[in-house]
Amino acid sequence: MSIAELESREIQLERPQGLWSEAWQRLRRNRGAIIGFGLVGTFVLVAIFAPLLAPYGPREQNLSLVREGCCPGPSADYWFGVDALGRDEFSRILYGARYSLLIGVVSVAVGLTFGLILGAVAGFFGGIIDGVIMRLMDIMLAIPGFLLAIGIVAMLGPGIWQIMIAVGVVNIPIFARLLRGAVLAQRENDFVLAARAVGVPRRTILGSHILPNSISPLIVQGTLALATAIIDVAGLGYLGLGPQDPATPEWGTMLTDTIRYLQTAPHLAIIPGIAIVLAVLGFNLIGDGLREALDPKLRGRA
Amino acid sequence: MSTNGNALVEVEDLKVYFPIKSGLVMDRHVGDVKAVDGVSLEIERGETLGLVGESGCGKSTVGRALLRLYDPTAGKIVFDGTDITHLGENQMRPLRRRMQMIFQDPYASLNPRHSIGRIVGEPLRVHGRGGKELGKTVRELLQTVGLPADAISRYPHEFSGGQRQRIGLARALALNPDFLVCDEPVSALDVSIQAQIVNLMERLQDDFDLTYLFIAHDLAVVRHISDRIAVMYLGQIMELSPADDLYDNPLHPYTISLLSAIPIPDPEVEKRRSSILLQGDLPSPANPPAACRFHTRCPYVQPTRCREEEPLLRPLEGHLVKCHYAEDVKAGLITPRVREAVFEPGPQEPAYVPPVD
Amino acid sequence: MRTPLLTVEDLEVRFGTSRGLVYAVNGISFDIAPGETLGIVGESGCGKSVTSLALLGILARNGRVTGGTAMFGGRDLLKLKDEQLRLIRGREIAMVFQDPMTSLNPVLTIGKQLREPLQVHFGMDKSQADRRAVELLEQVGIPSAKQRLRDYPHQFSGGMRQRVMIAIALACEPKLLIADEPTTALDVTIQAQILELLKTLVSERDTALMLITHDLGVVAGMCERVNVMYAGMFMETGSAAALFSQPRHPYTLGLLQSVPRLDAGRRQKLMPIPGSPRNMLSPPGECPFAPRCRYEVEQSRQQVPPLEEIEPGHQVRCFNPVPADEWQRERLGGAA
Repeated sequence: MSIAELESREIQLERPQGLWSEAWQRLRRNRGAIIGFGLVGTFVLVAIFAPLLAPYGPREQNLSLVREGCCPGPSADYWFGVDALGRDEFSRILYGARYSLLIGVVSVAVGLTFGLILGAVAGFFGGIIDGVIMRLMDIMLAIPGFLLAIGIVAMLGPGIWQIMIAVGVVNIPIFARLLRGAVLAQRENDFVLAARAVGVPRRTILGSHILPNSISPLIVQGTLALATAIIDVAGLGYLGLGPQDPATPEWGTMLTDTIRYLQTAPHLAIIPGIAIVLAVLGFNLIGDGLREALDPKLRGRA
Repeated sequence: MSTNGNALVEVEDLKVYFPIKSGLVMDRHVGDVKAVDGVSLEIERGETLGLVGESGCGKSTVGRALLRLYDPTAGKIVFDGTDITHLGENQMRPLRRRMQMIFQDPYASLNPRHSIGRIVGEPLRVHGRGGKELGKTVRELLQTVGLPADAISRYPHEFSGGQRQRIGLARALALNPDFLVCDEPVSALDVSIQAQIVNLMERLQDDFDLTYLFIAHDLAVVRHISDRIAVMYLGQIMELSPADDLYDNPLHPYTISLLSAIPIPDPEVEKRRSSILLQGDLPSPANPPAACRFHTRCPYVQPTRCREEEPLLRPLEGHLVKCHYAEDVKAGLITPRVREAVFEPGPQEPAYVPPVD
Repeated sequence: MRTPLLTVEDLEVRFGTSRGLVYAVNGISFDIAPGETLGIVGESGCGKSVTSLALLGILARNGRVTGGTAMFGGRDLLKLKDEQLRLIRGREIAMVFQDPMTSLNPVLTIGKQLREPLQVHFGMDKSQADRRAVELLEQVGIPSAKQRLRDYPHQFSGGMRQRVMIAIALACEPKLLIADEPTTALDVTIQAQILELLKTLVSERDTALMLITHDLGVVAGMCERVNVMYAGMFMETGSAAALFSQPRHPYTLGLLQSVPRLDAGRRQKLMPIPGSPRNMLSPPGECPFAPRCRYEVEQSRQQVPPLEEIEPGHQVRCFNPVPADEWQRERLGGAA
């Protein structure tokens, strides 16, 4: 029997499995990740189907409900109670999911895109370019994220797009650093050397060899960044720096001024707070699960 | 040693230094790791030149410098008549078709996210041969190295170390190169697999008319495949000789010591052997001994010349030897002594960053 | 023949992994007498390292000893609880590991790591332990030992670290020293030094040495008896002299044929063993070497051959052992 025949028999004994599907298997078995998926999945569905699920419109006011003062708590007609202007909290929470998730996703996408480009360039080209970019990133990282976001919104003025940009910018140095580290590590790998020996042009090496092997930490960080983004956006909204229209059903904005009603209508503060916590928890659980699943040390060697 | 003008690769006084940078705020250039410090050799078309030595001797660096994966600090590299020492990436690219490399670590030398077909086909695509015939060529290559054709759609992690080395060979052969640098290709493999790969490489050399630079630390493995062997120590060649002659008639004290340190799988032989034990650690390439590099550990060291004058690599009995007293050693006029062990006080390998291009 | 120090019988070790149960060790038996050097030789994945870890109770969390006994000093090591094993580890059975770069704690000084077994097992105080530590370092050939106590592992080279590991292992004068690939990560000239050191120290102290390695040359130079391991079982056991001159198992023969040797004749042809090592996800139901064996017979595919004595002191696990003079004939033929 030739060596080729012997070896082909052995290869067929094992099902072919890409690295991604191996990671997926590991993820599926992680209970925390499953809970996370459940939570996030719920919010995504809620966000998409809000018009169908909400019993009332998010801006629909019914002032008669609050004539005697604030504010009726949860009841059969209004599951989460009613806010100071007679709007159904439940419907507002449902619609609010759209804002939180949308803003979270857009800002992380902004941060990831620019961070990826800067990190890849810094890591791959090294030298002065690396030095300049990384010092810039260091300066940005020196300012606490939330304060930096406030500063940017202060420059740009308040509003939804502005807070998306602000949170996005805050994320850039985090991703840049992460990717630069991954690129530096991959650059020394033998298969990169092999590609150079073959004569593969530098940009192809970066795009087709180094980057695909560097994105695992980015995926994990992206998920965790989504969690932080939701909190940041809510925070900015609470401070009144977000959507200027107070009728906007954004969870953070919904929390503005609820301190006044803490004794009489605690549900106004608690419920959006719980929504934020659950969304953030969901993303964190997924992020942790992904980190474990994508850990290269856990990948078996043949 | 003249190769009758049939040299495919000529190297003249090659030096590859890696800067050591250190400092609190700014990195200052405080010294160099002299990985390769004056290596000259010629590789004849069709031959296998073995390059052996222990850690820090610079053998891997020589291999990579030949392929211009590292930039030479000084010296000249000539490939098939063309001086490639200072060529830019675009000028090197067409030449890269003719010179390839296989690597030591079968787990790191293949991109884990690419399929085998993509890995082996990459050289073809990069050099414009990626047309309709690509799949067929890749399948043929895989069969040549003894892998089933259906490996094309699989991924590296599904294969064992020996199989991955075969894939690496298939990739290296894709463009039908003339010259192959083999950087410790079997060191990371199991004993029974090593023999498979060495035999495969010998067969491929015949079938494809290849010239090999076979880099290894295992002298026994190198003996089987090499026509001539160069022994390196701390960035320089200590001895260069035809393969069998090196084992039957070693002339340089380092070669003699190295050979006597290698265990032989035969208890009777082991009992009868007198081994020359080198004492102490290998000096660091950042701070090699002056004059003769080997003088700090040489069992045959003499009070004159060894510590002051760097020996020349000179012809002796058909070898090239870099030793002042090789004739006396051969004639048995010097008795080897046990030297005092010198252990390097600091960390062995200072951090350095090889240049990217 | 002195009374054995350690007698292992039918040791079985399994690992639970996401891909199923791995049958790492499948019934091995051996013993080792005081002052004796036993070599366990095999390639990666054959279970040789797992054996030593199982004996000392330091298997990974998913590993389990599922059978066998290991009698040491009248007690079965495999049945002892961790507190009892801790008194034995380092004191009566010590271990030297492969990778000197990672087997020393990088944040503790060499002195601290040397003192540890002395303080734990002998109750020495710091100054007593320091004096003994300096003695030990000198015995393993490290100069300026006193100053060296304050150094950290990263200030030592690989060879030196391995010497320190040996010093730590021998600190409490153990009866048995297990060395798992002690020189694999070292350069050849450093390897020769370390092996010479081990040989000297072990014979001076009459310590038994169990040397685990894949390198046939190392085993030939160091060991009196050799056990060849494959797929979790011993394929051949006997004296080094017998095994290397008259190997009877096709695997041993295959190893000798495929290893390039310094003293080989002109361009001796390497005869590789075809195929790859066995997949250990299933219990052996046939001779584990059969798929790669040139000498296999029908019975090899039906049952696992028992380990049987083929001549005094020499055992083989094979239904069709190789003729006694086969290897010598090949060697002489090849040298022509």
